[in-house]
Amino acid sequence: MNRTLPSLAAAASVVLVLAACSTPTTAGSEPVSGGTLVYASGDAEPTCLDPHVGGNYPQALVATQYLESLVSKNSDGEIIPWLATKWSESDDGLSWDFTLRDDVTFTDGTPLTADAVVANIAHLKDPETGSSTGYLAVQKVSDVTAVDDTTARLTMSSPDSGLLDSLSQPWLAIESPTALERPQDENCESPVGTGPFVVTKWDRQQSISLERNDDYTSPPADAAHEGKAYLKAIEWRFLPDSASRYAALQSGTVDVIDNVQPDTIVASQKEDAIEEIDAPRPGASNRIELNSSKAPFDDARVREAFIRSANVDDSVASLFFGTAKRSYSALSSVEKFGVSEPDLFDYDQDEAASLLDAAGWAEKDADGYRVKDGEVLELDFPVSTNQSIPAEVSLFEQLQSTAKEAGFKVNLKPLDLSSWYGALGENDYDLVSAPYTKVGADVLRILFDSSGTVPAPSGYFANHSQVKDPALDALLEGANATSDADERADLYAQAQEIILGGFYILPLYDQQNHFLLRSDVKGLRAMPTVSTPTLYDTWLAR
Amino acid sequence: MAGSLTVDLVAAAPTAPTRGRLARWALLRLGGIVFVLWAVATVTFFALRLIPGDPAEAVLGGPGSQASAEALAQARADYGLDRPLIEQYGLYLARLATGDLGSSYALREPVASVISTNLGPTLLLAVLSLVVALAIALGLAVWSTRGGRIAVGIGSVLEIVAAAVPHFWLGISLILLFSTLLGWLPPVSVPGPLGLVLPVLTLAIPLAGFLGQVMREALLDALDSPFVLSARARGEGDSGVFWRHALRHAAIPAIGLTGWAFGSLISGAVVVETIFARQGLGRSLLSAVQSRDVPLVLGVVLVVALGYILVTTLTDLADRLVDPRLAKAHL
Repeated sequence: MNRTLPSLAAAASVVLVLAACSTPTTAGSEPVSGGTLVYASGDAEPTCLDPHVGGNYPQALVATQYLESLVSKNSDGEIIPWLATKWSESDDGLSWDFTLRDDVTFTDGTPLTADAVVANIAHLKDPETGSSTGYLAVQKVSDVTAVDDTTARLTMSSPDSGLLDSLSQPWLAIESPTALERPQDENCESPVGTGPFVVTKWDRQQSISLERNDDYTSPPADAAHEGKAYLKAIEWRFLPDSASRYAALQSGTVDVIDNVQPDTIVASQKEDAIEEIDAPRPGASNRIELNSSKAPFDDARVREAFIRSANVDDSVASLFFGTAKRSYSALSSVEKFGVSEPDLFDYDQDEAASLLDAAGWAEKDADGYRVKDGEVLELDFPVSTNQSIPAEVSLFEQLQSTAKEAGFKVNLKPLDLSSWYGALGENDYDLVSAPYTKVGADVLRILFDSSGTVPAPSGYFANHSQVKDPALDALLEGANATSDADERADLYAQAQEIILGGFYILPLYDQQNHFLLRSDVKGLRAMPTVSTPTLYDTWLAR
Repeated sequence: MAGSLTVDLVAAAPTAPTRGRLARWALLRLGGIVFVLWAVATVTFFALRLIPGDPAEAVLGGPGSQASAEALAQARADYGLDRPLIEQYGLYLARLATGDLGSSYALREPVASVISTNLGPTLLLAVLSLVVALAIALGLAVWSTRGGRIAVGIGSVLEIVAAAVPHFWLGISLILLFSTLLGWLPPVSVPGPLGLVLPVLTLAIPLAGFLGQVMREALLDALDSPFVLSARARGEGDSGVFWRHALRHAAIPAIGLTGWAFGSLISGAVVVETIFARQGLGRSLLSAVQSRDVPLVLGVVLVVALGYILVTTLTDLADRLVDPRLAKAHL
């Protein structure tokens, strides 16, 4: 007895070791069905789970799991079929026909037909919906009709080459027309789509419970598998604190986290059990915009002097630990029409000094700030604390001190989002940094067209540089009106030359979007549309 | 102790003239409560509306949503934000008087129901933290006063350090130690008692530092006072003197501080609930302030103020029970 016990234990341990070795190899190759994935989001909790209402990134993140769009994008930036199998544009660009899949049913049993497209666009355009992102995207759509059960025709007030880009976004996802007829509060709590998961419960300020849609049939053309999702359920938690979010991932309490800060990314590289996904957001790059509507930045030489004085490369390297790549473009690196001009943004204090001399800011006061006609060269820089990551605020502080060398007095003003909007609405800024996520180069028209300088009654406007250049307007309108890819590329290139060459913006880096996951979470990818992670192909190797 | 408590209660039982005074006291107290609540509602209402920014943005999703002019106008009309501020204030007060707290802009839910779901978790956290803090403080005070000069020194250093530690730092340190390093406890709130340990400790430790200092001072004072001498003269032993007489004196300042402690626990809950991702009023309040969700901020602030008043009233009563002199002097 005394002898058999140890040998039994030895045999058992051999079996255990073998079992332990074999698990990862078998699990590593073949996807396994089942299990619940816990996703911990550091973004604000959505106020409504229907991304038609409002339309921000936190909504897009979670809606990617249960709603689907007419089209999607592949990793080469090409539009690919999703709920629509094909589409065609009329020669004058004023009419688009979309052919829908005929075998798709919403999770409430309503079949997907052309009437659903009609109802969804009407829902986006209805002021009572309170849509902002989606509403802007369908502004040029004047009418939608159901030609037959599977063909929807969109009539445009003027041609819009960005239409397919717009329709690929989660903010324009197609929801069940039956569900949309419910009161808004109800639809916000349990939106109904065609996606691989279904919202079953929403505990506010805690989590959203999602369960697999077992009748799922409609993955986008670039998905890795067909049929229903592997995961049985998703628990979508809200963990606002960055340090505890990472601790929760390390301990395995959660499987995926978003909004990962540079220091955490570096720390995670030492951990074998954790992997990173870097998925820059589309649309505009993160940039500092220079307000050209008033002194001192109404003088292009002063704008250039500020840009010459900004030592962005060194600051980005030291604050982001190599996790963010410097951008020299107005557009995100995922946008295929983006133009990069590294030479325009050289750091050169001597050049900054002589530009300021030439612009009449030749004298210096006792503190070393430039003076002209008794006025100090001051720049107001309101910073929205809700939108900026900590490293970015440190970056602005470093730029403040390099600009001081040239004689600029930069006043950084940390403000909450509402006060920040207030400062912008009153034109009470010289420098500002505002992210803008949108699929496609048409974001340039939103950010730099003259019409974008006119504030809405809310005080909001998108053209923070306040560029008013008829030539630029014509280029951006022209690019939006043509669907010819080469012509668009050419027009967008010319437009970006005006924007970058006019020193209206100081590009920093892509809009950062990093995810960390446990290494036994397989098959997770970011959608090439707005870089939200999709859990459809994801499975757990455990 | 139990015997003397009964005696106190009998002594405090209202006779005819005291009953009149009790009624007046209760009426004054009630008037005071209504006044404080009105003042809290008014100050919060105007403070939230006078700082720049537009609550209508909260209705439309807050950060990151580029609200269109039409959508904003619609939201303003829906929530009466287009009326003059003073009119909005009047409407709010009128509704408040009927007990209607309104609807949260951001959560699209009646404020009363948001509060009722979140009140329980916060109260549980606060009460547990208070109990744990009192236990730690008492333990430390008793140990250090009975342990001689060196123990007093160690005790007071521990208390000062504990009292000075900010919640966010303590919370993250506890997570690093007990979750990341040792792997004993979950780093974020999970259902069940295990998920409560770190949040409760984070709130209790700084509070225990404050309470411990006060309790030890009171204990040392009591041990030096004449009644202890006379108790000893009656032949009571060391532990009898300590547990029966001195401790009772030490309890008085601790009870008096409970009202204040409740306030500090609620403000600490804002931080702790955020770090540990716990459901509760603190977390609701933080996100409501950030998104200018005026009705929810007002609702939570009113409930917290009411809770604070209730706790102070209760500690007043408790003081009277423990210290009969107060009951006779002021009632």
